[in-house]
Amino acid sequence: MQRRDFVTSTVLAGAALVSSSVHAQQAPGAGAQVSNLGPMDQAAAKTVRRAPKPGATKSLSDEDRDALERQIRCQCGCTLDVYICRTTDFSCQVSPAMHRDIISLVEGGYSGQEIIDAFVDTYGERALMAPTREGFNLAAYVLPFAAIGAGAVGLIWFLRGMQRRAVPATSRTTPSSPSATDDEMARLQDAIRRDD
Amino acid sequence: MAAWSIVTSFAGGTLGREDLIVSGRRGLYATALMIVLASIGLWTALLTHDFSLKFVASGTSSNMPKVYIFTSFWGGQAGSLLFWSLILALYSVAAVWSAKNTARELAPWAAGTLSAVLLFFIAVTCFKANPFERLAFVPADGRGMNPQLQNPGMAIHPPNLYLGYVATTVPFAFAIAALVTRKLDASWLVLVRRWSIISWFFLTIGIVLGMWWAYVELGWSGYWAWDPVENSSFLPWLTGTAFLHSIMIQEKRGMLRKWNVVLVVVTFLLSIFGTFITRSGIIESVHSFAQSPVGSWFAAFFLLSTGATIYLVATRLKDLEAKAELESMVSREAAFLYNNLVLVGIAFSVLWGTIFPILSEWVRGSKITVGPPFFNTVNIPLGLLLLALTGVGPLIAWRKASTSNLKRQFAAPVFLGLFAGSALIALGMRNGHAIVAYVLAAFVAGTIMQEFYKGIGARRSIHGESLPVAAIRLVARNRRRYGGYIVHAGIVILFAAFAGLAFKKDHDIALKAGQAAELVDPLGHRWRFVSQGVSTSETLNRFVTAVGLEVFRDGERVGIMASEKRQHFDSNKQPQFEPSTEVAIKSSAKMDLYIVLAGVDGETANLLISFNPLVIWVWIGGVVMALGGLIVMWPQAERRRAPGGYVATLAPARELASVS
Repeated sequence: MQRRDFVTSTVLAGAALVSSSVHAQQAPGAGAQVSNLGPMDQAAAKTVRRAPKPGATKSLSDEDRDALERQIRCQCGCTLDVYICRTTDFSCQVSPAMHRDIISLVEGGYSGQEIIDAFVDTYGERALMAPTREGFNLAAYVLPFAAIGAGAVGLIWFLRGMQRRAVPATSRTTPSSPSATDDEMARLQDAIRRDD
Repeated sequence: MAAWSIVTSFAGGTLGREDLIVSGRRGLYATALMIVLASIGLWTALLTHDFSLKFVASGTSSNMPKVYIFTSFWGGQAGSLLFWSLILALYSVAAVWSAKNTARELAPWAAGTLSAVLLFFIAVTCFKANPFERLAFVPADGRGMNPQLQNPGMAIHPPNLYLGYVATTVPFAFAIAALVTRKLDASWLVLVRRWSIISWFFLTIGIVLGMWWAYVELGWSGYWAWDPVENSSFLPWLTGTAFLHSIMIQEKRGMLRKWNVVLVVVTFLLSIFGTFITRSGIIESVHSFAQSPVGSWFAAFFLLSTGATIYLVATRLKDLEAKAELESMVSREAAFLYNNLVLVGIAFSVLWGTIFPILSEWVRGSKITVGPPFFNTVNIPLGLLLLALTGVGPLIAWRKASTSNLKRQFAAPVFLGLFAGSALIALGMRNGHAIVAYVLAAFVAGTIMQEFYKGIGARRSIHGESLPVAAIRLVARNRRRYGGYIVHAGIVILFAAFAGLAFKKDHDIALKAGQAAELVDPLGHRWRFVSQGVSTSETLNRFVTAVGLEVFRDGERVGIMASEKRQHFDSNKQPQFEPSTEVAIKSSAKMDLYIVLAGVDGETANLLISFNPLVIWVWIGGVVMALGGLIVMWPQAERRRAPGGYVATLAPARELASVS
C-alpha cells in the first residue's frame, strides 16, 4: 500500500467521522492539490530509469543513497529534497516515485554523479537542490566571496586613509612617553573607586 | 488620519510651527487608536465565530481551541497585515511620545515618516487584504486553521518576528529625520540604538522560536532549511547586529556616521523586502503565505523607500563626515568594522542566494533551485569567520592595541581553543568544519570568561565583594558591555550546537507490530526500537494515526515513544488540509532522538529515526542570547558622575588591564 492509499484508507477508516467529499481548496486542477506546505503537483513525477549495467551491483550504501537524495529536489512543488520530502510529507506521491527511481539506478550500478545526470536529463536543472558550478551559476558561488573580498580591500583602504589623517594629530598630542606613572595609576584607581 | 499626520508633521517640521507638529503627533495617536479599535473588532469577530467575514471563515472553525482562534489573527494574510499595523501604531506612539521632548527637532520628521509607513500598511489592509471583507453568504462553519499552525511555537513565533521587523521602522524614521534635519547628534544615537536593540531582541526570539517550531512540528528533523522566508527574517537580523556593533564606534569615536545611517536604512528596507518575498510568491517557499496580491504593493513601497533614502543620503553626505580618525588597524573600532564586513557579507550572500533563482530565470530562462547545499557551502566559512571575530573584538583595546596587550589578552583564549581542538582530534573527531567550529567556540568562550574573570576580580579587589555579588554588580553596572558578552556566549552555544549537526544520523526504516530495529547513534550507543503497532483514534478536531515504539538504549528500557499523523476535520467532520506530523522527540544534553511516522503501508509503519546531536543547545543558546539582549536593553538610570578633574594619558594595554 502506498502513501496515497494510506491517506485514502485513513479517511475510510474514519468513515463514521469523515465523509468522502474532497475539500474544494485541494483540487485546483488535475494532478494538483494544496498541501500544508503549499501547492503540490502530484503528477510531476517522470520515470528516470536506465538499463542496469552489465554485472551491476549496488553502487551506493543506503547512507550514501540518502545523502544523494538530499541533492535531488522533489518535483511536487514543496521545495524540499527527495529524502526529506519522502520521510516527512505524508501525502506527496512524487518523492516516493523519485526514490524508487534512485534505488533502481543504484541497483543498476550507476554512480552518484551518473544518477544526478540522469535526473537532470529528465527534469532539467530544477532536479538539483543547488546550482551546478558552471557558467552563469558560478556567479552564485563566487560573488559573495568576491563582494566580501572587495569590501575587505575597500575597508583596508578606508582605514589606512583614516589612519594617515590621524598620524599628524596623534603626533601633536601624544607625549613622548605614553605610559602613566605609578602615582597616576594610583590616583586613577582612587577616582574609579570613588565613582563606584 | 495617518495622511493628516504626515502632512502636518512634515509641514510643522519645515515651518517650525509647534501647532502643526502637535497636530501631526495627535493625528498619529488617533490613527493608533483607530487601529486598536479595528484590531479589537477583528478579535471579537474571531472569538464570536462571525463566519460572515471571509478571514474568519477561512482561518478558523468553531471546534478550534480558543487559544488558536485568538492567534489566528496573525495566522492569515489580511489579519497579519492588520497586526503589523497595530504593532507599528503602538511603536510609533511610544517612539514619538518619548522623543517629543528629548529630540524636538527630529520628532516631527520621525512622526511623519512613521505615519507614512503606517499609511502604506493601512492602505494595503483596506484595499488589497481586508480582514473585514464579507462573504456573499454565511457558512455554518469555517475551514479551520492549518494544523501545522496549531502549535504553541507558531502562536508566539510570528508576533515576535513582527515585533522585530516592525521595530526597524522606528530607527529608520529617526534616520530619515536626521538626514532631513542634518542632525546626527547624541539624541539620535540614543533613540536609534534603543529601538534597534528592541528590534534585534524580538527578531532573535522570533527566529529561534521559528526554528523550534519547524523542528518539533514539520518533521524535517532539522530547524533551518534556508527557505526564502527564513532568510527574510535573518537578513535584517544580520544588518541590525552589524549596526549594534558599529554604533559603538560612533558613540566612542564619532566615526562611521554614514555607515550607521546606511545600516539603519538597509535594515528597514530588508524587513520590507523580506515581507515582499514572503507575500508576493515571487520566490518559491514552503510558507503558504507566499501567494497573494499584495506583492506589487510591497515592491512599489520598497522601491519608493529605497529611492527616497538614496536621495537623502546622497544629498547629505557632507553632513555625515566623520570627526575622528583611526589610530591603528589593530584596534577595537577596526575589529568592529571587520565584524561589520562579515555580517553584511553574510547578509549579501543570503540575499544573493535567495534571489538568484529569479536572476537565473531572467538571464538563462531556466528555473533552478538554490537550497541548503548552496547556502551551507557559502555561509559555513563566513559563519566561522564571524565566530572568530566575535572573540577578537572584545580582546583588542580601543584606539590602538600594543603587542604586549595583544599577547596578554589572546594567550588564554587561544590556548583554550587549541586545547579543545587537540582534545577533539585525540578523541577521534575528523570533521574539519566541526573541529574549526569547536576550536573557535572555545576561543570565544575563553574571551568571554576572561573578561568576566577580570571584571569580577577587579570588583572583588576594589570593593571586597563576594564572588556572586561582584558578578551581579559587574553586569548590573555595565549592562551593555556584559550583556553583550552574554549574547556572545549565546552565539558560542549556537555555533557549537550547529556543528553538532555534522554528526547527525538519519535512518529510514519500516516496522510491523512486534518487529524491532537496532541502530547505533553517533556516540556509539546501541538503540533498539520495538514497534507496538499502528493505532487510530479521534480527538477534538482530528483523526489520529499513531505508531508506538518501545525504546531501549544499550539494553536499558527508555520508554514508549509515539509519533502521529493527524487528519484535521471541521465541525461537520469534513477533512481539512493534508495530514500533519507530530514528531516524537526525546531530548538530552548530548543528543535528540527524533522519530517521525512518515507513512503506513498496511500494517507496516514507515519511520524516520534521527539522532540529532546537541540540538537542545540551539534553544538554550537562543535563550542565552535573549537574556543577554534583555540585559543590554534594560533601562539603566544615568548616574550623576562628579567631574573627576583628572586626565591621565595611558598606555592602552598594560595599565588599563590592571585597573579594569
